Amino acid sequence: MMMMSGGGRGGRSSSASTATKTSSWAVSASGKRIQREMAELNMDPPPDCSAGPKGDNLYHWVATIVGPQGTPYEGGIYFLDITFPSDYPFNPPKVVFKTRMYHCNVDTAGNLSLDILKDSWSPALTVTKVLLAIRSFFTNPDPSDNPLIPGIARLYLADRAKHDELAAEWTRRFAK
Amino acid sequence: MFRSNNIVARVFQRQIYTPAPGTSVHCARRFYENLVPSCTIYDVECPDHLFRKFTDDGQYLISFSRNHQDLIVYRPTWLSFSCKEEDCDAHDLPPKSKRFESFFTQLYCVSLASCNEQICKDFFLYMESNQYGIFATSTAPVPEAPATGGAIQGVPFIEKMTFHLLRLGDGVILDEKVFNNDFVNLTHNVGVFLYDDLLAIVSLRNQAIHILQIRDSGNLVDVRAIGAFCHEDDELFLNSNAQCMALPDKSKLPQLPENHAQNGLHHSQPCLEDSFLSGIKQRLLSFIFRGIWNEEKDQSLRVQGLKKKFYFHFQDYVDLIIWKVQFLDRHHLLIKFGSVEGVVSRNADHHPAFFAVYNMETTEIVAFYQNSAEDLYLLFEQFSDHFHGASRNSLYMNFISSPSNNIHALEQLRCIKNKANGSSQFVKKMLSSLPFSCQTQSPSPYFDLSLYRFDEKLISATDRHRQSTDHPIKFILRRQPYSLKFKIKSGPEGGSTDGRTKKIALFLFHPFLPLALSIQQTLFLQPSVVNIHFRR
Repeated sequence: MMMMSGGGRGGRSSSASTATKTSSWAVSASGKRIQREMAELNMDPPPDCSAGPKGDNLYHWVATIVGPQGTPYEGGIYFLDITFPSDYPFNPPKVVFKTRMYHCNVDTAGNLSLDILKDSWSPALTVTKVLLAIRSFFTNPDPSDNPLIPGIARLYLADRAKHDELAAEWTRRFAK
Repeated sequence: MFRSNNIVARVFQRQIYTPAPGTSVHCARRFYENLVPSCTIYDVECPDHLFRKFTDDGQYLISFSRNHQDLIVYRPTWLSFSCKEEDCDAHDLPPKSKRFESFFTQLYCVSLASCNEQICKDFFLYMESNQYGIFATSTAPVPEAPATGGAIQGVPFIEKMTFHLLRLGDGVILDEKVFNNDFVNLTHNVGVFLYDDLLAIVSLRNQAIHILQIRDSGNLVDVRAIGAFCHEDDELFLNSNAQCMALPDKSKLPQLPENHAQNGLHHSQPCLEDSFLSGIKQRLLSFIFRGIWNEEKDQSLRVQGLKKKFYFHFQDYVDLIIWKVQFLDRHHLLIKFGSVEGVVSRNADHHPAFFAVYNMETTEIVAFYQNSAEDLYLLFEQFSDHFHGASRNSLYMNFISSPSNNIHALEQLRCIKNKANGSSQFVKKMLSSLPFSCQTQSPSPYFDLSLYRFDEKLISATDRHRQSTDHPIKFILRRQPYSLKFKIKSGPEGGSTDGRTKKIALFLFHPFLPLALSIQQTLFLQPSVVNIHFRR
């Protein structure tokens, strides 16, 4: 549809520097792994999800999750930044929301509390699985286990209708 | 049928002949073929002001003092003098009438600038319905200012800019709006657009479109700011919500609104992080995303398409900044986005630019085009009047020639187009005039391309300084007998003695009277040569 004519992207992202710090073997190993995951994602993308590298930097991706139908996030388009560490997959990618969201597991800076992106990370996990896990957050917020925004978690448990109404209002205002 | 271009014949014809439906104004305007500003008073003695323009209703002539401090407003009046002898047309004008004061009466002089501010001489907007004028004063811009507080790097910096709302009838300042530490491009009204009573001001530095309303009472009221947020109450909404979200554990549910304010104080401001996309960018990116998403139904192909067309360019889209804005109607804005480099550099053609149509009520992007988009060009060619909608309140403003209302303008455009072989460079060049600058075209009938032909390199309806030549500019009838009707010559009568000095001319045409001013300046600080062109 539309293509940028201006050239000269490359090396713009800060994550490029993290990748070059480690040995070339590590870079290429993680690079190969990320490429494989990209191919996997392209072949069989999870519903409502898509992702791809920003410019030509393999370690810096953007993902999009379309607010799933039947949730208060329906109609919203949520952008996420995914940064892979240079020793990927031994460490989890860093995922941050670029779109404001009313959700008890997403803080006011867009960070999300997802156990598989922290302690429960396993090199067997992939971007596809991470996206699926984030998408399941949309349908089933997790208010019980130390939510990032206790206020939203409490409202979710006590008055689901009000919670959904507010979340839908946030979607309308900030995620359209 | 007997036809004559004689004015008496035309008056008779008007009496007995009904013009074809919808053409009465066109027919009436043909009288301008007979009434022309063919008489010139050269180098008229006049106050040494910077003459800006006639207001579009012809009521006022706006000028600024040389030191950029004062606004001086004149009322154009028609020259009158008495003659004792019989055949007074044969006589030369009496010397007393050959003065600026016989054509213009000074209404008042008001001081607009204060302290270290100066009037921005290239900026003036006129609200015809209320006869209000909008002027700007500012401190000197700092070109290489460091970007602080989320400002855009590379955009100049102005410490203070003030927009003044004046009642032009008596020069009373009704209201002011101050922008601190900001930059609005005021050259040729580029950064400000007036539509009815709505004013859009583009803050380049802070990337916001400020929508103001001019009330009949003479107040400038903030309606909304589009940029970081889209709805007028988004920020308020976010702040009040943040307070609910941060309730301490002891309180049960956020049901008591009066507690929120106190509780919220413990919580840090939610807006300090700029990791989120700005409101307008979220709208733009989701619009582009949706377009590609809906293009393809197959899941796998869709994701691959997004990868190539969207994610690869994602950062470029994020880095786009708002360049220029115009109203299309009361709800829709045409916004031009481009790179920072393109704003700063003179030669913006080489930089990618995009156009978005944004509905500020629903906060939706309605359309998005690249600046080489053929389909946008075709809209521009066929419906260019719709892009001009704003400045066309009064009847004669509808007659500013454009490719969509004038066959000659269309022919000219097609001619250039054929020469360019429909290249994308041509489209880019044409679209570079979008969004249109507000009130930069003269409604004078002498620029009507269905009446006159003239060299558009030397003179046109567009309000610009042009390089001046010693040759008079010819206005030739578009219809039979295709004859030369009048000439406009800037500068002294005998031409200038120094042929090498570069001279710049500005032509101010009255919107409907056969009256024009030409102002010729040399690049050095000599006083300008003002000629008055009128019909004797």
